[in-house]
Amino acid sequence: MISLKELQDEFQRAVLQGETEVLDEINSSDKEQREVLLGVYQNAYGLRLIEFIENDYEKLGLLLGDDQFEIMVRAYIANTVSHSPNARHYGDRLPEFLKTHEPFSNAPVLGDMASFEWALNKAFDAADAEFMTLEDLASVEPENWPDLNFAPHPSTTRLDLATNVQDIWQALDDETTPPAIEVLDEPDRVIVFRRDLSSMYRSMDYEEAMLWDEMSRGVNFAGLNELSATYADEDEASMRVAGYLKGWIEGQMLAA
Amino acid sequence: MDEQLQKPEFLGFGLGLRPDHYSDILDGEPDVDWFEIIAENYMVEGGRPLYNLDRIAERFPLVQHGVSLSIASTAPLNMDYLKDLKALARRIEPKWISDHLCWTGVHGINLHDLLPVPYTEEALDHIVERVKRVQDFLERRITLENVSSYVTFKSSEMTEWEFITELANRADCWLLLDVNNVFVSAFNHGFDPMDFLNGVPPERVVQFHLAGHEHNDTYIIDTHDHDVCDEVWELYAKALKIFGPVSTLLERDDNIPPLEDLEAELRIARDIGAKTLPEIAMAATQ
Repeated sequence: MISLKELQDEFQRAVLQGETEVLDEINSSDKEQREVLLGVYQNAYGLRLIEFIENDYEKLGLLLGDDQFEIMVRAYIANTVSHSPNARHYGDRLPEFLKTHEPFSNAPVLGDMASFEWALNKAFDAADAEFMTLEDLASVEPENWPDLNFAPHPSTTRLDLATNVQDIWQALDDETTPPAIEVLDEPDRVIVFRRDLSSMYRSMDYEEAMLWDEMSRGVNFAGLNELSATYADEDEASMRVAGYLKGWIEGQMLAA
Repeated sequence: MDEQLQKPEFLGFGLGLRPDHYSDILDGEPDVDWFEIIAENYMVEGGRPLYNLDRIAERFPLVQHGVSLSIASTAPLNMDYLKDLKALARRIEPKWISDHLCWTGVHGINLHDLLPVPYTEEALDHIVERVKRVQDFLERRITLENVSSYVTFKSSEMTEWEFITELANRADCWLLLDVNNVFVSAFNHGFDPMDFLNGVPPERVVQFHLAGHEHNDTYIIDTHDHDVCDEVWELYAKALKIFGPVSTLLERDDNIPPLEDLEAELRIARDIGAKTLPEIAMAATQ
């Protein structure tokens, strides 16, 4: 008799690869052939994973339309199995997949949209952490400011988007006609974050994005000032850095 | 585990908690006695899902129902998953923790389906041992649900209800009897659903599930996207007579209607309960 382990191996291969050896272990019912009954599991596998991706990438689905979306997701499913007990994680590799696999990589708006939506999903249920407040900052003695380090809140993601996907996403969210897809001369530097439990996003200019990225890598306040001074008006650098910090703190983007 | 079985309390009539209904639940007074959560949906790090869950847990009894325990798998138990399951239970203090008598994958892969088990002595030994380990880790009995199945295996040596009974008694766990799944599997495999209901030990059954399904002429699929059908309501009434007052949960996972529609459907269960069992009728008037 076939062992439980062998049976499960064969069954899983039937679901994932359509192999038929497990049919030898399965009865037909009095109403239906075993091939059809096994097919219930084989069909359900794809449909369930498509549903996971639909839930996590709603706007990508709207952008592509039902037929193209299903073709795209079926390609992802053929490339990607789930290793997580949580369906929420199945779509985590979709942005990278779309950026690295033709024909999807030929349309950068797809990878951009997936990255943007995944960042919004992450902001939704990322770890909770105390926010840095303006009072926290005010309590630091001025002589200690240069050594101050900051930490992004776990809900934040910084993205450089090659296309006008932010406008497209917003139009789809507003249920209006999205603008034509456009590849931008300069990337759209976006920060996605969570404020008062809601996922938010906004663009950053070059300097703010640069400072955010360096802050995230551990550069302290003095270092941020130096970077700012090399980028623009040296005399106002510390004022500009302080202004960005205030915005980040008010946006609940920094952890305490 | 205790020698004497002391079943958890009768919770009344509950609904599966779905995000579509958060605001109606939190801002209103739904006619729902308790909620069952899909555990994995709240095994996230933070943010709004856990915030909402905490608020609902303050007002309603909760039961923690998982879909990825994979108790029948020949792959090793996923201890990281079990740690997360335990942490969630510490957070919300559910009345009990349930999952399905099935496997979801092997070799580190999750097929995200409730896959069928051969009813063999080998499978029984394997699953009993795993249930005991899970219960030791979680420091409580777990509750296992019969699934809908679409195939039977040539290697099976006993009926599903014989298998479940033996499992529950040997592993000392609770049972969640999904009445719709009994109906679906009975149709698909050509057995009498009453044989199933009469074959399961009443002292082990702590919860019922009710749900809708999709009929495809030669087989039925457990889709949770329709109202409960008349035949399942009839089977539910018969189950109440056999098992007595058992906490009853209406599941809906697709084509999810407004909360008030599900409250209305749940009232059908309440009415059947009140007509079938005097204990439930008395509780309803108090």
